[in-house]
Amino acid sequence: MNVAVETRSAPRALRQPSVLPGFGLTFGFTTFFLSAVVLVPLAALVLMSLRLSWSEFWEVILDPRAIGSYRLSFGASLLAASINLVFGFIIAWTLVRYEFPGKRIIDALIDMPFALPTAVSGIALTTVFAQNGWIGQYLEPFGIKVAYTWIGVTVALTLIGMPFMVRTVQPALAEVQKDLEDAAETLGAGRFHIFRRIILPTVLPAMLTGFALAFARAVGEYGSVIFISGNLPMKTEITPLLIVIKLEEFDYRGAAALGTVMLFISFIMLLAINLLQAWGRRRHTRTGR
Amino acid sequence: MSITLDQVTKRYQGAPVVNDVSLEIGDGEFFVLLGPSGSGKSTLLRAIAGLTGVDHGRIALHGRDVTHTAARERGVGLVFQNYALFRHMTVADNIEFALRVRRVKRAERVQRRKELLRLVALEGMDERLPAQLSGGQQQRVAVARALAHKPEVLLLDEPFGALDAKIREELRRTIRQVQRELGITTVLVTHDQEEAFAMADRIGVMNLGRLLEVGRPDELYKRPATRFVATFLGAANLLLARQSKDGIHFGNHAVNARAVDGSVSGREHEVVAVLRPEEVELAPTREALTGSYLAAGTVEELVFTGALERLRVRLTNGSAEVQLAKTNGDGEYLEVTRTQHEQRAFQVQRGQDVAIGVRRIHVLPTPLSSFTACAASDVEVEHLSRQPLLVELATRMKTRVATRVEPALANGSRDCASRSGKFVGAAVVAAQPDTLKDIECLLARGAEEVFVLPPNAPSPQRVLIHWADEAAKTATLAVSASLLRHLSAEAIYVDVIPDGGSDSQRPHGMRALLDARSEAQAVHGLEMRTELRVGNVSTELVRQLGESADPLLILGISQINNLAHRFADLLASTPRWPMLIVYREPEVSA
Repeated sequence: MNVAVETRSAPRALRQPSVLPGFGLTFGFTTFFLSAVVLVPLAALVLMSLRLSWSEFWEVILDPRAIGSYRLSFGASLLAASINLVFGFIIAWTLVRYEFPGKRIIDALIDMPFALPTAVSGIALTTVFAQNGWIGQYLEPFGIKVAYTWIGVTVALTLIGMPFMVRTVQPALAEVQKDLEDAAETLGAGRFHIFRRIILPTVLPAMLTGFALAFARAVGEYGSVIFISGNLPMKTEITPLLIVIKLEEFDYRGAAALGTVMLFISFIMLLAINLLQAWGRRRHTRTGR
Repeated sequence: MSITLDQVTKRYQGAPVVNDVSLEIGDGEFFVLLGPSGSGKSTLLRAIAGLTGVDHGRIALHGRDVTHTAARERGVGLVFQNYALFRHMTVADNIEFALRVRRVKRAERVQRRKELLRLVALEGMDERLPAQLSGGQQQRVAVARALAHKPEVLLLDEPFGALDAKIREELRRTIRQVQRELGITTVLVTHDQEEAFAMADRIGVMNLGRLLEVGRPDELYKRPATRFVATFLGAANLLLARQSKDGIHFGNHAVNARAVDGSVSGREHEVVAVLRPEEVELAPTREALTGSYLAAGTVEELVFTGALERLRVRLTNGSAEVQLAKTNGDGEYLEVTRTQHEQRAFQVQRGQDVAIGVRRIHVLPTPLSSFTACAASDVEVEHLSRQPLLVELATRMKTRVATRVEPALANGSRDCASRSGKFVGAAVVAAQPDTLKDIECLLARGAEEVFVLPPNAPSPQRVLIHWADEAAKTATLAVSASLLRHLSAEAIYVDVIPDGGSDSQRPHGMRALLDARSEAQAVHGLEMRTELRVGNVSTELVRQLGESADPLLILGISQINNLAHRFADLLASTPRWPMLIVYREPEVSA
C-alpha cells in the first residue's frame, strides 16, 4: 500500500525542485555505477559459465566435492549469522543500556573485523584455536577440535559477521524508550514478557537486516577461512576456495559455474530474508505511518 | 490512607533528589505534586510506582508496605508525558496488555476494553494504531491502558505536557471525570500551577527534593508559609516589614490591613509580607483609598490582557520605608492586577502618579527575612556581599542582601556598646580571628541571627543543628526549617551529653532527641536525622563538622555570654565552616 502510493507520486517528485540539485545527473550516475561495478561483472560471470554445455555444467556443480563445499559454505554461514543474531544482540544491548568504564574502547573494538585484513584474523584464530594454541589446548582434552574442522570455519565466519549485526541493532535498540518498559512493568509484565512483547518486535527488522548482512558477508568470506579450515576436500573446503583451486587449474568455466551457483543461492536467501522483513513490517505497522 | 510516604529519601550520586518526604494521601483523593523541573516530583512519583528504589524511608499503598515490592506487583497505573504507547500494537492490544499479562479470558478482556474506551470517549477506535491518533487521543488511550487492571492508585506524570492548550483543557476534564467516576486515588505531577489549581483536591509543593507545603489550593494561595510557595503559586510582591504586638509596620507607618498571623513574639522583628497583585488598590490620592495606604508610586507599565489589566507601579523614592524583599532588577516596583470593574472606577495611564493601598496582606511565618552584610569598611562589605554562598542563599530564598558599614567591627575596636544603630533581621559577618566579639556585638544590638561566613565557603551538603538550651529550641528549628527549604542538604540534629555524666542521662538524651525530631516535623515540616554524642559540646561539634563534607552549623542560644564559655572551641579561632547563630531572648512569662 505504501509502495503503491510512492510510485504514484514519483513523477511529481521528479518534477518538483529538490533541495539537492541535479537529480537527473545523480540518478544517471547511480545507474551507470551499479551497472559497471555490479551488474555487468555478474552477467559476465553467468555468460562465462554458459560456455559449458548443460551436461558439463551439471557435472561441475553437482560434483560431490562441490556439493560438500556448498554445504559447508552455506551451512557455516547460516550458523555463524545465527550465533551473531543472539550474541550480537547481547553486545548491542550492553553497549546501549549500560555505562561502564572502557565502554568506548569496546565500542571501537567492535569495528576491528571490518578493518583487519581477513587473512590476519584467520592466522590469529588458527594460532589461538590450534591443538596447542591458547584456547585449543584446553578444548583438546574434551575431544573438541576447532582448528581444521567445520567448527573453526564457523568461528571465523562469526568473527567476520559480528560487527554487521551489532552496528545494525544498536541504533534500533537505542530507539526503544525506557518509558515503554516502565509502562509494561507497571501493567504487570515480567522481564521476559517485556522482552518478547515490547523490545523484540521493535528491533526485529533491524535484527533481520543484521542477519542478512552477516550472512552475505560470511558466504563471500575467503581470507580468514582458508587458514583455519585446513581445506580437506569434502570436509573443510568452502566454495570460494574450490573456485580459487579451479582458477589455478585454468578451469575458468568451472570456476564461473560454481560462482553462478553461489550467486543464485545467495540471491534466493537474501530475497527470502527481505520478504520476511517486509512481511514483518506489514504485520507490525499494518498501514504504516 | 491510600498512599503513605514516610521519610522517603532518594539520592543520585550522593545528592538527595527526594529529601525526607513524608505524606499521606487519602482514598479517592486527587493529589497534585507541584514543583519546578528538577524538584524531585517525578522521581517521587516513580518511587511510588516502584520504578525507582528508595534509599531511605517507607512507602505503603492501602496500608500494605510496598517499599521493596516490584512495580508490577504494586497495582498502580502510570501515565507518561510522552504517552509510552506500544506503537506496534493496536489501541485494543495496548489497552488489553495488562489483561493479557494476567491471562484474563478473551470475552472479559473485550468487555473491559469497550468499557474503558467509553470512559475516555474513544469508542470505535479499537483497531487503530497509535500513529494514527492525535496526541490527545493517544494520551486517552494511555489513560485507558493504565486503568485496565483496575489499579488502586493512578499516577500521572505531566500527562498534558506535550499537548496544546485546548486539547489540554478537554483532557483535564476527562481525567477529572474518570477519576470521580471510579473514585480512584490519583497523584498528578506537574510544574503548571494553573493545572494544579484546576484539578487538585490537595496540592503538595516541592522544591529541591523537599515537600515544602501541603494543602488545599485556596489555603496555599491565601496563606503560604514559605517564600517559595508564595511566589510559585501565582504572582506575589514580597515586602519587608516589621511586626510587633501592634501590627505590621512599613517604615514608620502601620498598615491596617487584615494580616493573618497569631504568633507574635515580644520583640519587634523583621518579617516578609506577601502582597498579591490583586490585593493592591490604586487611587488618585491617599484619601481616596478604601484600604490601608502603603506608598506613592508611578504607573510604569500597563498591559491589557482581556479580563484583567496588569500594571507595574514603581514606588516613588520618597516612600523609601517600603522595601521589597526582592528587587526585580531595575528598581522597586509592585506588580498589580485590576479587574474591569476597578478599571472603570479609576482609569490610569502610563506615567500617572497614584496612591497605592493594600486590601489584604499575609505575613509569612518564616524567619530569615533578609541578610545584611556587615564589615568595617566599604571594600570588605562589598567583598562579603558577593560571597558565592551568600548570593546563592539570597537568590534561592528570593531575598535581598543589604550592606552596612560597621566601624565597630574593625579589628581591635572596642566601641561596640557605645554605638547605637539598631539591627533588624539577619546579619552576615566574615569569619576572622575575633569573630566571637563581632557576633556578641551584633547580637547585643538587636540582630536576631548572625551568619558567619568563611571566604568562598561551598554550598552546604549537610546542616548540623544544635541549640544550647530549650529556650532557643523553637527559634532554631524555625530558622533551620526556613534555611533548609532552600538547600538540597540533609539536616542532622546533634545533641551532646556532657562527658562523665552517668548512664542514667542517656535515656533522657534520647527522649530529648526524639522530642526535637517530632517537633521539627510537626511544627516546621522539617525532617531531620538525629545524633547523640557524649563529651564536651564545643569539641564534639568541631569534630562532627570536621567529619562532614561541606557542613553548615546552625547554633541556637538564648544568652549571649553563652557563646564565649560554652562554644569557645568553635569560635575562638577563625571559624572554618559557615555558621548561623540564632539568638532569641527567653520569653518573660507574665
